[in-house]
Amino acid sequence: MSSPLFERTVTALLQERVICEVSDDELYNYLLMPANQDSVNRFLAQINRTLRQTSAHDAFVCAYLDTSDSDTKDAIRHQFRDVANNLEAFVQFLRLVMMLEANDRPILPGDKLSEGAILDRIAAAPALESKLRSLAEKKVFHTKRADSAGQIRAVLSSLEKMGYLKSVGTSGSLFRATGRWSWLYDAMTFIQTHEGIQGSDDTDSEQMRLH
Amino acid sequence: MARAHDAHGTLRALAKYGEAILEAHLRNGNRVPDSDDNLGLIETLEHHRLVWRIGDNEDLQLKKVLVQFLDHITESERRRYANAQVDILWQQLSELFLEYKEAKKRSALSDIDRLEGEIKECLADVIEDIRNATEAFATYINTGFAYITDLQLRIRENERVIERAGRLITLFESFRIRELAEQAGSDAFLKRLLLRHLPATLESSQKNLSYALNQLRKMLVRMREDQRLSRMVGAFEAHFINNRGFEPSIDHLDLRYVPEFLNTVEPFQIKGFGDIYDSADDLELIEIAAKARTIPVEIDDKPVPDGVATVNFDVEGETEVEEDDPVEEAIEELIQLVVDGALGERSILASEALASTGLEIDKADWLQAIVSEIESLSDGDQQYIEVIYHQMPHRVYPDNVMISDLTLRYSNAG
Repeated sequence: MSSPLFERTVTALLQERVICEVSDDELYNYLLMPANQDSVNRFLAQINRTLRQTSAHDAFVCAYLDTSDSDTKDAIRHQFRDVANNLEAFVQFLRLVMMLEANDRPILPGDKLSEGAILDRIAAAPALESKLRSLAEKKVFHTKRADSAGQIRAVLSSLEKMGYLKSVGTSGSLFRATGRWSWLYDAMTFIQTHEGIQGSDDTDSEQMRLH
Repeated sequence: MARAHDAHGTLRALAKYGEAILEAHLRNGNRVPDSDDNLGLIETLEHHRLVWRIGDNEDLQLKKVLVQFLDHITESERRRYANAQVDILWQQLSELFLEYKEAKKRSALSDIDRLEGEIKECLADVIEDIRNATEAFATYINTGFAYITDLQLRIRENERVIERAGRLITLFESFRIRELAEQAGSDAFLKRLLLRHLPATLESSQKNLSYALNQLRKMLVRMREDQRLSRMVGAFEAHFINNRGFEPSIDHLDLRYVPEFLNTVEPFQIKGFGDIYDSADDLELIEIAAKARTIPVEIDDKPVPDGVATVNFDVEGETEVEEDDPVEEAIEELIQLVVDGALGERSILASEALASTGLEIDKADWLQAIVSEIESLSDGDQQYIEVIYHQMPHRVYPDNVMISDLTLRYSNAG
C-alpha cells in the first residue's frame, strides 16, 4: 500500500529539492518523525542514496550513499560547479540585503523579504542602487531592465526559481527564505576552509557599519 | 517665573509624549527613531534639551537625566540590579534575625516588636526583588536584545545577562530559609512569610530563571552562528574583490572522501507507464487519454459574420467585366487562323507563333495551353486542324516522351 506523503517526500528528495518548513512544510513535518526518516532512508539506500540534514538542522537533502563510483563523482563535481559559478552573485545579494536591513546577519530560512520594502530602502540610499545594478548584471540574475524595481523583481524571481525563496500571499511580491540558504552556507563554509579564505573581523565590522 | 514656566512646559511635553518616550526607554534602548512619524516628538524633546545625537543620520538618544528619571519611575534600574539588591537585603535580613535573636534572649520586648516589623518589611522587599529580578530576564528574551544593533555588542550583552542569571541562581541556592524560620519564634505572620511566601516565590523564580537561562544560551548560540555567517559573507566579498574572476573548484580533488555538504544528488526522475495491461485502470486511462491531446484544438478567433436571410442570384442588369487574357486571345487567334484555312498548305510552329506575340510566357505552358484550347474545340472545328508533336523518348523512362514543339496546319480531312 503506497503512502502519498512517502511518495511525495521521496520524489522531492530525488528531484534535488531541499525540504524545509518554508518550502514544503507538510513533507518537512513528515520527515521530522524518526520512523518516517527510517522508511525514507530504507528506500533511498536501495538506490545508493541517503537522507541528510543541513548543519543548522533546518532542512533535509538527499545525498549519495556510496561516492566511489566515477559517475557519482562526476555528478558531485557538476553540482559543485553550479554553486561555484554563481557564488559571487549570491554573496553580493546577501551583502546587499544585510545593508538594506541594517542587520548584522545574513538571510536565514524563514526570513521575510518584501519587494516593496527593498525598493523603498534602495530609493532612500542611492549608493545601494549601484550595488543592485551590479547584481542585475550577473549571469544568474541577468536582466535588461534599467529601473530598480525591474532589477529587484528579476533578482527575486531568479532566487524563487532556484528554490532559495518562496512566494507567500497572492501579491507575488512577498517572499520567505527557504532552507536552501542553510545548504548554501554549508557549501560556503566548506569552500572557505578548502580555499583558505580568511576574513578580518575588524574589516568586517567596519564594512558592516558603512551603511 | 520664566524658569518655572519652562519647567511646566517640559513636564507637559513629557505628559504629551509619555507613551512614545516610554516606548523608546523600554523597547528601543533609549533611542528615538528619526522618522517622519516622530517629527513632533523630536522637535519637542530637542526644544527641552532632552535628546542628543552625534550625526544627522543617527537616531536621537534620550539624555542621561531623562533616562535616570525613567529608570526611577519604571523601576528598571532596581530590576537591573535586583540580584545585587536581593543579596544586600538578604544580608540585612540575616543581621536583623541575629539582632532579633539577641533581643529575645534579653527579653527586650520593645526591640522585639521593632525588629519583627523591620524583618517583615525586609522580607517583603526580598520577595519583591526576587520577582523583579526574574522578570527582567523575561524582558531580555522578549526583545532578543534587538535594541543593540551591533552583533558583537549584542553577544557581549547576552553573555553578561547569562552571567547575571547564573549569579542569581547561585544566590538563591545559598538561602537557608529553614535556619531563619527556626529563629522566627512564635510570630505566625513572620513564619508564614518565611515558610510559605518566600519558598513559593523562590521556587517559581528559580523555574523562570532556569527557563530564561536556557533561552539566553540558545540566543547566544544563534547570535554566534549569525556572527560567523556574517563574517563568512564579508570574507567572501573581500576575496571576490581582491581576486577578480575567482571561482572555487574541486576538480583537482579525487573525492575519495566526499565532505557531507558536497554530497548532493543530481535530479532523478521517477516515472512509470500507465498500466494498460490491467483492465481495472481502463476507465482512468481512457479519461487521461481523452485529455492527452498534444495538439491544442485551434480556436478560431476570427469573428463569424452574421448569417443573411436570403441570397439573390442573377440580379437583373448587373454585369461583371472579365479581364481579357492576352495569352488566351493569342492562342484563340492562332487556332482560328489555322481552322479558317488562312495558312493554306503552310504550317506554323507553336514556338515561332509565341515569339511573334512577344508574350513573356514559359514555352511549356504555351504548348500546354494550345493543346488544351484545341481539345476544347468542337469536333467540327477540331477536324480542320492537324497537330504534329515534336517529341523524343525520355532517356531514363523511354515510355515517356518529351514534347519540344508543335506544328499546326490546316487539315483537308475536314
